[in-house]
Amino acid sequence: MNKPNQISPPRWSLKFFRWFCHPDYAEDIEGDLFERFEKRTIENRAAKWLFTLDVLKLFRPGIIKPITGSQKLNNYDMFKNYFKIGLRNIRRHKTFSSLNIAGLSVGIASCILILIYVNNELSYDTYNSNYETTYRVIHYYGQQGEAPDYTSLPTNEYQVWGNAPVAPAMQQFFPEIDKVFRFTSDASWLFSYNSITYSESDVLFADSTAFDIFDWKVIAGNPKTALERPNTVVLTPRLAEKYFGSENPMGKSIIMDNQDPFEVTGVVEVPTNSHFSFNGLISMSTFRNSRPQIFDSWGYVDFYTYFTLKPGTSIEQVQEKVPEFLEANFPNDFNYHIKFEPLSDAYLHSEAGRQPGPVGSMGSIYIFTSVALFILLIACINFMNLSTAQSVERAKEVAIRKTIGSHREALIYQFLVEAILVTFIASILAAVFVIFGHSLLETISGKTLPIDWLFTPQNALLALGGILFIGIAAGSYPAFALSTFKPVTVLKGSFKTSSKGIWLRKSLVILQFSLSIILLAGAAVVSSQLDYLQKYDLGFDSEQMLAVDFGYDDLVQQKREFIKQEFLKHKDVEIVSVSRAVPGDFFPNAGTGVADPVSGEIVYKGPAIYEVDEDFIPAYKMNMVAGRNFSDDFPLDSANALILNESAARLFGYPNPADIIGKSFRQWGREGKVVGVVEDFNYVSLHEDVEPLSLRFGTRFNVSTISVKLKSDDFSKTIAELENIWQGIVPHRPFDTRFVDQNFNAQYESDERFGMIFTTFSGLAIFVACLGLFGLTIYSTSQRNKEIGVRKVMGASITQIIALLSRDFLTLFIIALAISVPLSWYVMNSWLDGFAYRISLGVEVYAVSALITLLVAFITMSFKTVNAALSNPIESLRDE
Amino acid sequence: MKKFQLGEFEEIVMLTVAILYDDAYGVSIKKEIENRLNRSVSVGALQSALKRLEDKDYLESLDKDATQERAGRPKRYYKITALGKEAMQYTKETRNSLWEAIPSVSLDVKFATL
Repeated sequence: MNKPNQISPPRWSLKFFRWFCHPDYAEDIEGDLFERFEKRTIENRAAKWLFTLDVLKLFRPGIIKPITGSQKLNNYDMFKNYFKIGLRNIRRHKTFSSLNIAGLSVGIASCILILIYVNNELSYDTYNSNYETTYRVIHYYGQQGEAPDYTSLPTNEYQVWGNAPVAPAMQQFFPEIDKVFRFTSDASWLFSYNSITYSESDVLFADSTAFDIFDWKVIAGNPKTALERPNTVVLTPRLAEKYFGSENPMGKSIIMDNQDPFEVTGVVEVPTNSHFSFNGLISMSTFRNSRPQIFDSWGYVDFYTYFTLKPGTSIEQVQEKVPEFLEANFPNDFNYHIKFEPLSDAYLHSEAGRQPGPVGSMGSIYIFTSVALFILLIACINFMNLSTAQSVERAKEVAIRKTIGSHREALIYQFLVEAILVTFIASILAAVFVIFGHSLLETISGKTLPIDWLFTPQNALLALGGILFIGIAAGSYPAFALSTFKPVTVLKGSFKTSSKGIWLRKSLVILQFSLSIILLAGAAVVSSQLDYLQKYDLGFDSEQMLAVDFGYDDLVQQKREFIKQEFLKHKDVEIVSVSRAVPGDFFPNAGTGVADPVSGEIVYKGPAIYEVDEDFIPAYKMNMVAGRNFSDDFPLDSANALILNESAARLFGYPNPADIIGKSFRQWGREGKVVGVVEDFNYVSLHEDVEPLSLRFGTRFNVSTISVKLKSDDFSKTIAELENIWQGIVPHRPFDTRFVDQNFNAQYESDERFGMIFTTFSGLAIFVACLGLFGLTIYSTSQRNKEIGVRKVMGASITQIIALLSRDFLTLFIIALAISVPLSWYVMNSWLDGFAYRISLGVEVYAVSALITLLVAFITMSFKTVNAALSNPIESLRDE
Repeated sequence: MKKFQLGEFEEIVMLTVAILYDDAYGVSIKKEIENRLNRSVSVGALQSALKRLEDKDYLESLDKDATQERAGRPKRYYKITALGKEAMQYTKETRNSLWEAIPSVSLDVKFATL
């Protein structure tokens, strides 16, 4: 074209011109442009720029090609036609259409519901405007001795629960830190206003900086000052309503624990997607006034510390200076270290122990998401299978369209439009399902799941995109398969569905059933594991054990022996014990020293602590493996005796529990001898192994719970009678009771909810798969109508015919089983690895789930097969 | 009523096409207008005017003459159609009749000092 040494016009502007220009004019205008360019290159250095300028000036309505394309009319009519044919097809094949629509709508609805759930899980704490810059301190409390290498110490050795002085020290030491906030672990308080008295759980002490860090919804009060003064309390709207009704709670006084009046200085609402929650906040200054020494003790653990960074600083800068910080501030009594964890990790990604609230699991999010996708996939496969199965009926239509002159693309479009149409109808139905399913999901997940975020224009577009995507995903295979039919073969009448099509359909059915079996086996494993946990011998017996919570009430503590005696007089009471906490409750850890087996020197470790009385171990039917229990015969037990569990004995270097008896110990200001070793009992959770535990005698000020073992048939009557006794002794304190086993099992609640959600959606998946199977059975039976008729005439029995119709499926089912069992075995084993006490995966689980799947499948098919087998052969044979 | 629509620029283009007779294509029309009327014309304006006139059936076009300097692209030559001729005629006549209707005193600058 051009002479080699000549410059050519800029490529991009030329490309742009060719793209936008009306094809009718493109060539000659381009010619004009070239001509002008050629002339300019001789005289003008800026020719290239001028060329681009010319192109840009051509970008105007008269010259740009029309968006609709040059064959606008024709396409528009064709699309109208696709819609019409699509709707007619949906109407004509009512069974298939409703199966498709039902399957897809359940699939889409499940997806949306799980999306709502997952979105809620992911949204935790994001309501805070400081979400990105807020961190919390996680603490490592090590034993005395050599310090571990902190750079490689795993995060799960750390805990969120820490000491008080670290917060002000950090504020002072790190210029990067903006605001620091602490709160304590939750406690129960007695609230009284006028004549209304209740015990309220989840009440925390909180620093006045709370509202600088967390954006809780302040309904009343000044967030800057609400928690400054001592004896002030901030309530949630629920509590405000409970005590004050329609009155304005601000400035009113609530009597706390029958002692001091606390002024209500605010009402705040904590969003449901907050990683910790509370019913009330009491100003930290209240706590400081009552126990000032705690605020200087690096060993007293009761605080959660959060802080925000100043803009332009990074957490790495802070983390780098931690050794320096500890050097300057920490008094060095024991090994201690801190790390920081972003708020964004608090709910889903925190490995640290002692969390302030329930945590979510990324694993369940992945599992739920895959279950949702599985259901949708199964529904899409239904659509593919049913459409290709129907292909014989559609073949004539395709052939005639082709003969008349339809392009293959036009046919593909047609089938895609049909698929999208079905998806569209299904998604409208799905929206209805979601509305009903949402409240159900809220019930089984036990969470408030907001859905208002769904209704934005972007999401509407996204939904439209989703419909198109699902429609195209489900419709693409039928569209491509059906549009390949050769008109000659079809119209000659020798057309049969190709073996390739059947092969594909079969593999899709195998895939569907593999997924179903995986989900069902998963649900079975989850539920039997949960069952196992419920029934697991924890090493103590908390059945019919009533716990009376009195929140360290001083009067009750004074009268504990009297209350015990009075309760024991009741005929339904077996044994009564007073302790700080019962299994399943919160407990502290403490630096405890026991003489080393070899050197005899006191070695410090940090086991958990139970504070109990002499009746605790018998009441909970725990076994002593060595030594003795606390006893009235040894009046000094309350001052110089300690019981350990087997793990703790091992921790201190005594594999044989008997050897530790009589060794010296030091713990929380007490010194004396280890008197007994109790058999390990599982006091935390079966997710974990039994941790070292020490049981000390709970003196006054340190107990808050009375355990009452009942042997009654009518609990409500017994409890009412016990309440009468209680009211007679300590009328100021409400009789706040709960059953220990229920309380203990509450920690498996999240597991149980996980199991429920999982089982529900697995059920849906199987339902959808069965819809597809039902459709295919209808199809294959109708195909073999004549065969069945002939066989019956020849004398085949009904069972033989049903067997004939079901045999094909059985092969597919066995293949599906072979694929799904190993997969599921692998996945479920890794799920079970999250439990310290777990079932072993046996054959039974798979046998049962396979049997259920098979049974459901056969029942589904039998709707049609039995019908076909019973029908009079005349019906099928006479139409020729 | 307006029988023929012909804008000012469109009229100039029509006249130029007429002047160039059998050498009226994009570049030459542009050059001719620029030379004769001493005003600059952008390719875009000219091309869209030509397309408009073609749509109105005042012009017809013909592709021929691929030359080396146009990198082998054809030239599109424009010719005035009978309808186009009529439209030009009509425009000219309306102008003329308007001119004639002006009283001579109206354009006499001396009196226009009100």
